[in-house]
Amino acid sequence: MNDAAANAVPAATDAATALALYRLMVFTRAADAVIAKEDGHWHGLEGEEAAVAGTYHGLRDGDVVAPHYRGMLSASYARGADLRRLMAGILGKVTSYNRGRYRSDICGPPQFGLIGLYSGALGPPLSYASGAALAFKLDRKPNVALAVFGDGVSSRGDCHEAMNLASTMSLPVVFVCQNNQVAISTLARDRVGGRAVSERAAGYGMPGCTVDGNDALAVHGAVQAAVARARAGGGPSLVEALTYRVAGHFVSDQVETRPADEIAAWRARDPIAQFERRLVDGGIADAAALARIGDEVRREVEAAMAAAKADPDPGPEVLGVGTVYAGERTK
Amino acid sequence: MTRQTFQEATVAAIAEEMRRDPDVFIMGEDIGAFGGPLKSCDGLWAEFGAQGRVIDTPISEGGFVGAGVGAALAGKRPVVDLMFAEFLGLVVHPFGLDGGAMHYYSDGAAKVPLVVRAKYGVGPFHGHAYDFHSWLLNIPGVKVVVPSTPADAKGLMKAAIRDDNPVFFLEHMALYHAGRDEIPDGEHVVPLGVADVKRAGRHATVVATALMVRRALAAAAALAKDGIDVEVVDLRTVVPMDRETVLASVRKTGRLVVACEAVRTGGSANEVVALAAEEAFDALKAPIVRVAPPDVPVPFHRSLEKAYLPDADAIAAAVRRVVRA
Repeated sequence: MNDAAANAVPAATDAATALALYRLMVFTRAADAVIAKEDGHWHGLEGEEAAVAGTYHGLRDGDVVAPHYRGMLSASYARGADLRRLMAGILGKVTSYNRGRYRSDICGPPQFGLIGLYSGALGPPLSYASGAALAFKLDRKPNVALAVFGDGVSSRGDCHEAMNLASTMSLPVVFVCQNNQVAISTLARDRVGGRAVSERAAGYGMPGCTVDGNDALAVHGAVQAAVARARAGGGPSLVEALTYRVAGHFVSDQVETRPADEIAAWRARDPIAQFERRLVDGGIADAAALARIGDEVRREVEAAMAAAKADPDPGPEVLGVGTVYAGERTK
Repeated sequence: MTRQTFQEATVAAIAEEMRRDPDVFIMGEDIGAFGGPLKSCDGLWAEFGAQGRVIDTPISEGGFVGAGVGAALAGKRPVVDLMFAEFLGLVVHPFGLDGGAMHYYSDGAAKVPLVVRAKYGVGPFHGHAYDFHSWLLNIPGVKVVVPSTPADAKGLMKAAIRDDNPVFFLEHMALYHAGRDEIPDGEHVVPLGVADVKRAGRHATVVATALMVRRALAAAAALAKDGIDVEVVDLRTVVPMDRETVLASVRKTGRLVVACEAVRTGGSANEVVALAAEEAFDALKAPIVRVAPPDVPVPFHRSLEKAYLPDADAIAAAVRRVVRA
């Protein structure tokens, strides 16, 4: 952690923002639980709810986000995508945004400003976000792009290329490292060089900070400060949200190589429970009000999944041979 | 009529499209004040540099082609100068795997109007010669343009910039400064996916691209002296491929030779062979013959280069084989 972390948390956060962050965290956990029952390949994110909510809450129309896959669904939801259609996208139903052609768990609908993972390789979307930021700059639009990646992707050449490009061109892009300390089984402490990913920012001449990724207010404050800087023409920043993947790599992942006591210690630092205590202690909401939000969100998620499950599967006509190109049909 | 080289015509097309559409911009390595290797962007900096529309990039091909994809998603129409096509391996992911899939996977919500241009080919510059364009044939959603003349280069570049899909535009270095050609006046746009019969003939069809078109025409001229009348079909775009023009020619002549600068195994010309075998087998009077380099990396010394790349004599010999059969 470096000292910028403390400064990045706004002194006063309004109640509406705090409750919105809480709601998005609870949504993230509820969706995680519901989807895990339907999709054995779902990449769970227990433990990372604060990093996700703090990152994706509070963007403006026209902003673009290239989320990490652990958080793509919450980002899509936060940007206004319809939850039933997102759930249909988990199941590949014809009612999903792409009629079952692709997965909403790793690829959000572009009509809501999402840049998804259009293949399994991580890293290239950091450049896509930088490119969107270049478009904003060329068009003098007051928009920003978020490029979100895990600790594993911090090792990729794409990460360096995108950051150097953004820095040299002073692009309105905010890089957020959702550092959950593990990439499938590869531990960040073994295979990510240096003390903190955020320290690399200095090498690119951009601001960088590490914040407590289990503290939604800290993440939100740091990301929004970087967003405001980018929006004002100040160029890119790097925010590292240091959290922990309490979940396995994916739901059916039976191979856990990390120490059980380490996982237990992080589970005890549950970001939602911590935040509930803060909200109650700070007089922002009482326990009953928080429970109501939780019930409401869970009902919404369950209803969306139930509806999506009842939706029809795509027929072979969705394959759409001849629709792979945009614009005119080819000769 | 203006007379321009391949390089001049290509740059003129980019400049015209930049004047026509403020969303068009160009980025790449050393394309600013330097003007691009082999003058690939000559004059663009002077005209558009102050507008911020000619952007020098760091040496990070994956990064700036990816930035092109992102800018295209956000509504711009980027032209990315990859410098040399041998860097294709560094950009296949953003350009092809992701860029080519976005429109389809989003069910039409996303589009990627992006041109990546690159120089390649065995020629006077004696390096960066690799012709890897065939890799892209196995990636749905991208287009591949392989012009052979200055006029086609201009018209195809304009069409490529106006296209709403990722387009890989190949600029052969042996054709780049190899003489001027007449360029039609006014809006000269050559649609992607339309082949051109560069020479009509009755006895055999040679389907070729880029430098091989020129060599096929030389072979046809030599064969004409022996009474062999060759039709030369220039694909101009390998993807989409103009199946109708190829098949019509094969049905007319009944004999097919394909010539390609990519190595023999997996080369794009093989797609022409498959097309003819599937759709015009009944019209064939002789087995199809491929003329392509052997499966070795492009060698360095001129004598090895000459042994590697098929010349007009090799194409003529192939035509004689199919005509005699």
